[in-house]
Amino acid sequence: MDVEAWQIVGFTAWVSVLSVIAILPLGLGVAWLLARRIWPGKTVVETFITLPLVMPPVATGLILLEILGRHGWIGGALHRHFDLDIAFTWRAVLVALGVMSFPLLVRSTRVAFEEVDPRLEQIARTLGAGEMRVFCTITLPLALRGIIGGMMLAFARSLGEFGATVMVAGFMPKTMTISRAIYQAVQLEQDALAYRFLAVSVVLAFGAVWCSEWLLRGRRH
Amino acid sequence: MKLLLQKIVLPLSHFTLEVNVEIAGRVVALCGPSGAGKTSLLDLLAGLRRATSAFIQLDEQVLTDTARGISVPARHRGIGYVPQDLALFPHLSVRQNLLYGQKHGKACDGLFSMEHITQVLEIEPLIARGVRQLSGGEKQRVALARALIATPRLLLLDEPLASLDGGLKARILPYLARVRDEFRLPMLYVTHNPKEISALCDALLEMDRGRIVGGG
Amino acid sequence: MKIHQKKRLQPALATAGMIAGVFAAHASDVTVFAAASLTDSLKRIAGDYEKQTGNKVLLNFGASSTLARQIEEGAPADLFFSADEARMNELENRGLLVDGTRETCLSNSLVVVVAADSALNIHSAKDLTNVGVQHVALADPKAVPAGVYSREYLEKTGLWQKLEPKVVPAENVRAALAAVESGNVEAGMVYKTDAAISKKVKVACEIPPSEGPPISYPMAVLKESEHMDDAKAFKKFLEGPQAAQVFERYGFVVRR
Repeated sequence: MDVEAWQIVGFTAWVSVLSVIAILPLGLGVAWLLARRIWPGKTVVETFITLPLVMPPVATGLILLEILGRHGWIGGALHRHFDLDIAFTWRAVLVALGVMSFPLLVRSTRVAFEEVDPRLEQIARTLGAGEMRVFCTITLPLALRGIIGGMMLAFARSLGEFGATVMVAGFMPKTMTISRAIYQAVQLEQDALAYRFLAVSVVLAFGAVWCSEWLLRGRRH
Repeated sequence: MKLLLQKIVLPLSHFTLEVNVEIAGRVVALCGPSGAGKTSLLDLLAGLRRATSAFIQLDEQVLTDTARGISVPARHRGIGYVPQDLALFPHLSVRQNLLYGQKHGKACDGLFSMEHITQVLEIEPLIARGVRQLSGGEKQRVALARALIATPRLLLLDEPLASLDGGLKARILPYLARVRDEFRLPMLYVTHNPKEISALCDALLEMDRGRIVGGG
Repeated sequence: MKIHQKKRLQPALATAGMIAGVFAAHASDVTVFAAASLTDSLKRIAGDYEKQTGNKVLLNFGASSTLARQIEEGAPADLFFSADEARMNELENRGLLVDGTRETCLSNSLVVVVAADSALNIHSAKDLTNVGVQHVALADPKAVPAGVYSREYLEKTGLWQKLEPKVVPAENVRAALAAVESGNVEAGMVYKTDAAISKKVKVACEIPPSEGPPISYPMAVLKESEHMDDAKAFKKFLEGPQAAQVFERYGFVVRR
């Protein structure tokens, strides 16, 4: 594989890592609220979060494009006021990856939080700890393995993301990711290149999912 | 201590907890068959559960008054809790567990200092260990110490000796007596065991199916 | 003295030119959204253009319908090179094209393809109705231009009724070719330029452009372009003789 191909691999890995980091704070927050609190509209939010998992990715991509394109309400405002483009730049890829793997992160993290014995959190409160301290010193450390497992899963999903990314970033060379590169190579009958990309993406995804499984399984002693 | 529990209404799975009682004394035993609602009552006192209606006053402070929307959060109640399953933090060392509730900036009262408490309960050699490496009796004492180091003004104990065998029970009982005498802390002590009651308690409350049926 | 000055001036000018070139190149990047079937030819032409003018051309290939949709949502395209008039019409109706810049100078012809080792005797589209042909692959006759044009032609020649039950719609041209390559489908109908990219199929017969449907590849500069002049410059290059040569080499029909 030539330099350009390795650049695509590098870009894909980098933007996938960045997307997981970007959704982590919101993902943790939402997962905690779903795990530990009951509130009106909870079911609606749960369903809404699961949507990117069950909708056709192209449909999700279309919605993102309508919001982030220069005519969209976020994309338009950013373009007019800050001369900033999102669609068809690496930022759109980041958003698409983040949106598509958000449900996976929330699901895994929620389970991780639910598996922390609430009794421990309660006793921590009787010992004088405020909610933030309880979260940071008790909930988070005990849920950490599950959270990291969820992050690896989200990373693997980001690596393979295709449908939504096609809509918001097309096939422009500077934002090319592995999955779209494979698609394009197949379209142009460059099968050898397609298989090489495929091999790299399989290795990356395999590694991420394997780590995720090992971490998630290891929690159940 | 003077503990006022009035108009307590808390629906549980099989019955409703309804309590109206004034508790006075130093170490009050709370007994009753399992499932009578004793743990739920302790949870309410500690501020870990909310009741449909409740008025709880400890000495001069109103902790809960649903009628006026008052509910002091658990962390401000100063009520120590040693639950039945001990709830030691498994990911922290014994030392970290002990110091978890220690209040900073407060002049370290010799009585409630870590040094003194670990001495009284004889757990000094365990401090560096991890929680999983402790025996049953050792865990008991660490849980007790942890609650004490937070300088509580009332101690709740949920069947602290229930899971220990006879010999161990006999060995830990004096520690509890020591806590009562050295720290002069009021305690609410859930137990079935008459030996523990006679050794430690000066008052008795009986509960059954969510109601107080005897004692006071 | 004059010669000395000239000698010192030249490298200075060259350096200044290079530096200006770097900045100039950034400022005048032209973004072209083009139909996927133009990939190989446009890449070559863009490369030539870059070498000659130093201006960069950014190419985004895709399905014309997707590209049109993305442009409607405000994608940063300067030039749109579509595979059929319908998509261009959509954009024109929305006022997204710069007046007077819409041009069609590129066309294609339809061919019937069979597997490279096929023994079938097909000399015209009519032979597709023979018993030996059970399935015919077309790129989606509802959405993909190649499929739409194929269907138009078959309807025009009165063959559609007999062939419709045999038609296997594929997601795109590549998928249609793959179906023929795999042997699951005995024949397919695609553009001449598409047939060229697959080595495992051969052209059984070509529909002469005079008989075939009016296939056209319109292009236009987009109104919201932020590099209008550079877009127009590249479009002129695309309409010129050098580009025409490249297009013809790849099998397109150039209207001069």
